[in-house]
Amino acid sequence: MREELAPHVHDITRALGNKVSEQEIERELSSYLNVYRVSLDTAKRSIVKKHGGNPATLAIGVNKTLRELLPGEQSVNLLVRIVSVNEKDVTVEGSTKRILYGILGDPSTTIPFTAWEPLPVPLAKGDVVRVQNAYTKEYRGQVQVNFGIRTAVGKAAADALPEFKPAAGQPYVGKPTPVRVVDLREGASNVAVTARILSVERREVEVDGAPKAVFSGVLADETGKSQFSAWKDFDLKGEEVVRIEGAYVKSWRGIPQISFDERATITRLKADLLPPAERLNVSPRMWIEDLADRGGGADVTVRGILIDLREGSGLVNRCPECRRVLRKGACRLHGEVKGEPDLRVKAVLDDGSGALTAVFDRELTEALLDKSLDACISAAKEAMSTDVVRDELADILVAQPIEARGNVTSDDYGLMMIVDSAKILKVDVQSEAREMLESLEGSA
Amino acid sequence: MNREVAWRLFASEYNDANLEAEGGGERPPSYIVTPLGARVNRVFVVGVITDVENVGTDGQPMWRARVSDPSGTFHVYAGQYQPEAAAALSKLKPPVFGAVVGKSRIYSPQPGTTYTSIRPETVKAVDESVRDFWILEACRSLRKRLDAMGEAQRMDPLTKEGLVKIGVKAAIADGIVQAVNHYGKVDLSRYTAMLAEGLRYLLPEYREPAGTGEAAPETPTTAKDERSTEPDETETKVLEVIATLDKDGKGAAWEGILEAATSKGVSKDALEESINALLDKGLIYEPILGRMKKI
Repeated sequence: MREELAPHVHDITRALGNKVSEQEIERELSSYLNVYRVSLDTAKRSIVKKHGGNPATLAIGVNKTLRELLPGEQSVNLLVRIVSVNEKDVTVEGSTKRILYGILGDPSTTIPFTAWEPLPVPLAKGDVVRVQNAYTKEYRGQVQVNFGIRTAVGKAAADALPEFKPAAGQPYVGKPTPVRVVDLREGASNVAVTARILSVERREVEVDGAPKAVFSGVLADETGKSQFSAWKDFDLKGEEVVRIEGAYVKSWRGIPQISFDERATITRLKADLLPPAERLNVSPRMWIEDLADRGGGADVTVRGILIDLREGSGLVNRCPECRRVLRKGACRLHGEVKGEPDLRVKAVLDDGSGALTAVFDRELTEALLDKSLDACISAAKEAMSTDVVRDELADILVAQPIEARGNVTSDDYGLMMIVDSAKILKVDVQSEAREMLESLEGSA
Repeated sequence: MNREVAWRLFASEYNDANLEAEGGGERPPSYIVTPLGARVNRVFVVGVITDVENVGTDGQPMWRARVSDPSGTFHVYAGQYQPEAAAALSKLKPPVFGAVVGKSRIYSPQPGTTYTSIRPETVKAVDESVRDFWILEACRSLRKRLDAMGEAQRMDPLTKEGLVKIGVKAAIADGIVQAVNHYGKVDLSRYTAMLAEGLRYLLPEYREPAGTGEAAPETPTTAKDERSTEPDETETKVLEVIATLDKDGKGAAWEGILEAATSKGVSKDALEESINALLDKGLIYEPILGRMKKI
């Protein structure tokens, strides 16, 4: 451990102009890492800041695998294979600029990347590259790697990256912490969960051209549900109750989910330890303020009022490449393209405790309108404007109490629900009012 | 950055507010803090839009709408910077059930006088079921604040942390502490009565028979508007009192109305009830807190 940290200790002292002794830095770094358990990157930046230095002068990033990346990392080093790479022109502050975008892969996972500055070496599919001082951002709940002006990219030998190796994280130290499903938070590691497997399926994913099996599904305890991914075949079966020790929590598309690999141990427990699957599988009804506290949730139900339709609701055109909705005929990434028509609703759902953006896909929108996409296209053609579709949706939806079920993700722009099912809420106002009045008079 | 929640609250609580507060951050949002501690930046109200009027000029219209709920009246103003809401308002034909989402506004022309209003973002005609559901939600919301404020009034010293400890959400606790510091110990019974009034409004068993017989046959009641818009006997008396006392055009003061009404044999309770009914029916309004004016 100490040997591994030596270059970083050196890096910090250098960034601080050798004003602070290496022993002192080493002691602080070890405290940040072992007592406060923050990431190496955060620890380094914090120490430099604390002593009045500029964290941007740190030269040695932290080596990470792609799966370890979190949004908002300032300086990471990666050894990755170029899974795909494309060029495109974008307009930045009025001038045109050529950038690269594509997908990076290592044995742990694959992640999209963008190179904003010209690179010293051409990149081609299959190249293995060493990247220093890259940074990450979150886009639609997914981590993206960016190469900026400080980033150095160099080719490495094709065999520098093992052709295929199962994801192997660092072994955990100490006993796993028991956690209830409702309390799972992004970034937690070495946790223990006792839960019933509600569903599990085997998926094949490709890691560096090699197939890899992931076992993913949904598990639950009395407090809630979570999606999970097992990176090793534990022979999990639906309905069984298991104790998973040594799991970690990572957000996938903005929702915290539990993941575990060969570091985890699975113990099979008695089936009656937890309520039956049909009791655990209900979508919990939640207040939006609680979802905001938790940072989203999988398969939750919210009751509220659609108080506003957002821009981009109704008949839209999508980019054929990335499915983004076009603005004025142009895609944010791919420029002017021939759009593919689609229907969707982006509305503000407010339950009096908070608000989220609810997104309804084409199928749900067609059901709400009781009209097909084709009918909407001809209506818009006739009216020479797509506004007719939007207006009709506003007429049906705005001020309407609804119950919506789906996954709620959280990012810099607040909460967003990808709606799975929705219905107009019919409430027996009289009986609820009577009940409240009785309890009011009872307590007076 | 989360979007400001849209509060459901009754007009009477909203109009009782005279405290403005600022949030934090780069572009701090402004809030109106009500006596029960609702920190309101955005509201969602559904009520009867009783009248819509252009109080601006033809070239620069400013649409004013009154939206009444079981407790009182919201004032909604939409001008050139709210083109969509202004257009929607101008097309409405009152009386109509209407939903308004908008930003809270407070205006203080001189110290001691404040007016609250709403700057609308969205205006839409709705049906009665949406209005009824709104009343229920406003009642729930009011109940939560009444309970929390009740706890707060028993707490000494009152702190946000203390409230959070007993289960009040941090965002609500903040508003309650601000409200207590500004308004002191407010009379909760008034708001409890407002809550009960709101709930009874939804229940047919509490609905008074419409009109007093002679007025009823002539009242062109639509199927949905089951309540008479004509004043009953007591209300007519109160209406006369208000008209007589309103000498300077600024409305009749509450003390004067009470005195005059008592001398005409109207009890204080009946008077309050009548005033509420008259506000509801859109026959009077409250231009300034504590003053009534005939429309």
